[in-house]
Amino acid sequence: MSAIHLRNLVKKFGDFTALKTMDLEIPDGEFMALLGPSGCGKSTTMNMIAGMEEPTSGKILFGERDMAGVPMGRRGVGFVFQNYAIFTHMSVRQNLAYGPSMRGAGKAEIDRRVGAIAEMLQLSPLLDRKADRLSVNILQRVAIGRSAIMEPAIFLLDEPLSNVDAAFRAVMRTELKQLQRQFRQTMVYVTHDQLEAMTMADRIAVMDHGVLQQVGTPLEVYNNPANVFVARFIGAPGMNLIKGKPAASDRGLVIDLGPLGVTPPLPDELASAVRAVRGDVLYGFRPEQVGLAERGLSMPVTFVERIGARTIVHLGEGESAVKAVFENDVGLSIGQTAVVAPPASSVRVFDAATGLAVKAG
Amino acid sequence: MSAVTATISEDKMGTARAKPAQRDEGARLGFRLTLPAQVLVLFISAFPLLMQLYISVTDWSPLSGIGWWNAWEMWNSFANYTDLAADTRFWSALQRTAVVMLVCVPAEFLLGLALATLFADDFPGKRIFYSILLMPMMVVPAVAGYMFFMLFQSGGPVNDILSRVVGGPVTIAWLSDPTLALIAVMIADIWQWTPLMFLILLAGLVGVPEDQMKAATLLGANAWQRFTTIVLPKMKTIIIIALAIRVIENFKIFDTLYIMTGGGPGVATETISVYIYKVTTQDLIWGYVAAIALAILIVLSIVAVYAMKRLAAARQGA
Repeated sequence: MSAIHLRNLVKKFGDFTALKTMDLEIPDGEFMALLGPSGCGKSTTMNMIAGMEEPTSGKILFGERDMAGVPMGRRGVGFVFQNYAIFTHMSVRQNLAYGPSMRGAGKAEIDRRVGAIAEMLQLSPLLDRKADRLSVNILQRVAIGRSAIMEPAIFLLDEPLSNVDAAFRAVMRTELKQLQRQFRQTMVYVTHDQLEAMTMADRIAVMDHGVLQQVGTPLEVYNNPANVFVARFIGAPGMNLIKGKPAASDRGLVIDLGPLGVTPPLPDELASAVRAVRGDVLYGFRPEQVGLAERGLSMPVTFVERIGARTIVHLGEGESAVKAVFENDVGLSIGQTAVVAPPASSVRVFDAATGLAVKAG
Repeated sequence: MSAVTATISEDKMGTARAKPAQRDEGARLGFRLTLPAQVLVLFISAFPLLMQLYISVTDWSPLSGIGWWNAWEMWNSFANYTDLAADTRFWSALQRTAVVMLVCVPAEFLLGLALATLFADDFPGKRIFYSILLMPMMVVPAVAGYMFFMLFQSGGPVNDILSRVVGGPVTIAWLSDPTLALIAVMIADIWQWTPLMFLILLAGLVGVPEDQMKAATLLGANAWQRFTTIVLPKMKTIIIIALAIRVIENFKIFDTLYIMTGGGPGVATETISVYIYKVTTQDLIWGYVAAIALAILIVLSIVAVYAMKRLAAARQGA
């Protein structure tokens, strides 16, 4: 068991900076997801933890141990590759036994450990099958078993579900989460799929353009995004953000959204924080939290997506376009005008100049 | 009730019977349509073989004054084959060929593999070295023969370099010494054919999946363990192909060697091809040549069949 500390980690490839000063603490036994669009530096971070790449500067510590110069074979890290990297010329048994036999373990010990891990992963009946003719979920279990047999303190998973079709992904998410509960290791999981991150991770580190944007539990990241990027990236669809100016009114502080009129007054704690912002702000709220109201933002319906249980209604155009998600078909159609209002408690405000969230209180 | 079942089963049997019959019909038509091409291919591949077989049981030679098709008049039962069994020059040529093969092919393989391992990674000037390395393969074997003929002269560059290294005059008569001549010939073959081995093995080596190598490293395998447990098993098929190509080609070693030594001194470098060539052009006993050629064909076929079997096994294993 081991905690991971990343301190001032920087990685440059020539002129290109893949990772700009990353600081991250991953406590022992935590399931941490590194989430971000492709090219955000999440895989680079993972490869540096594994020792496949050397950081340009900064430190990686496992517990108290500095990993600088420790080769990847000696880090005690289990790594599950995107395509599993199963040794296709070997049997399942040989795959599982690979690590111990490379370290010179005796035959009896190897048999015992392979037997135990196969039992745990329900691979026992498949031990003598050739690894090149296995289905994806079995390959995944072999990949995990092959690493787990080394009893690594740290498990790294590089988008292990990206090659799997959508229906199967749900099954494998559950399976992975159960495995993590069994193994109780520190897990770092790289993904670009927020659903995977939200459902499996204890905490999520959202990254973009080589910069760590926010670290928090899935609900923290969803409810209180630290900046505009996280607000838009998390959630499907992402958070609605409309530019406006804070303005005083007799009901309290409101945001003047220009042609859309003014918003309902902000809650007191948020209002006092917003007063300190100079210049424009972004008025944000989740599409799922929008309700039809008597008073609120009056906007024309431009498009309606019906996806079974939910209906996504597109409102307005250009910079003030907004999406609203309803649990049932609300009977809106294109051309109608809808009056929508987010509940005051779910409103988030961002500084338009810096993109950072304006924190209440 | 029973009548109904009877019709159904009859019907089933009917369709079951009709399908293979139709397939047979199609196959038969296809066979008939491709018959001319088949005959041609069969003729091209089988005719020289059959002709050889025919001549090999006669005393026929071009000087016999009769066409080869009339060679039956000179039928000598299997005297050529019994002669062959007792021909010490043939057996020593065969043995020599085997020695050359057992030295050259492993040397080419190991050198090729080492070079391929080197070239699998990047290093400065890789492209230039790559081109230089492939050049021997493109040299016409006869030209390579002349090159090495000159290199190994008593006053040639090899001795020149050696004398510089030793610091005194070196005058080794490479091509006149029975053992050294054989060594010189083998060096020429290794020089010319290592590049082919390198090229084939490099193709196999770059095909080894990089992530599996990384996975092995993460599981604690060192470079040698990775090589033996991942790289070699993955390259098994291509190694068998490369070895089979070189074994068969090396068995037929002729042009470079003949130009360098002419099989000499004496019969010191006389391989099976050189021996056949001499019997054909000097002794003109073609019936006997045909018998030798057939014997060699059988030996090489056994090698090829063995290689194919190993290949099939490796494919199933890979």
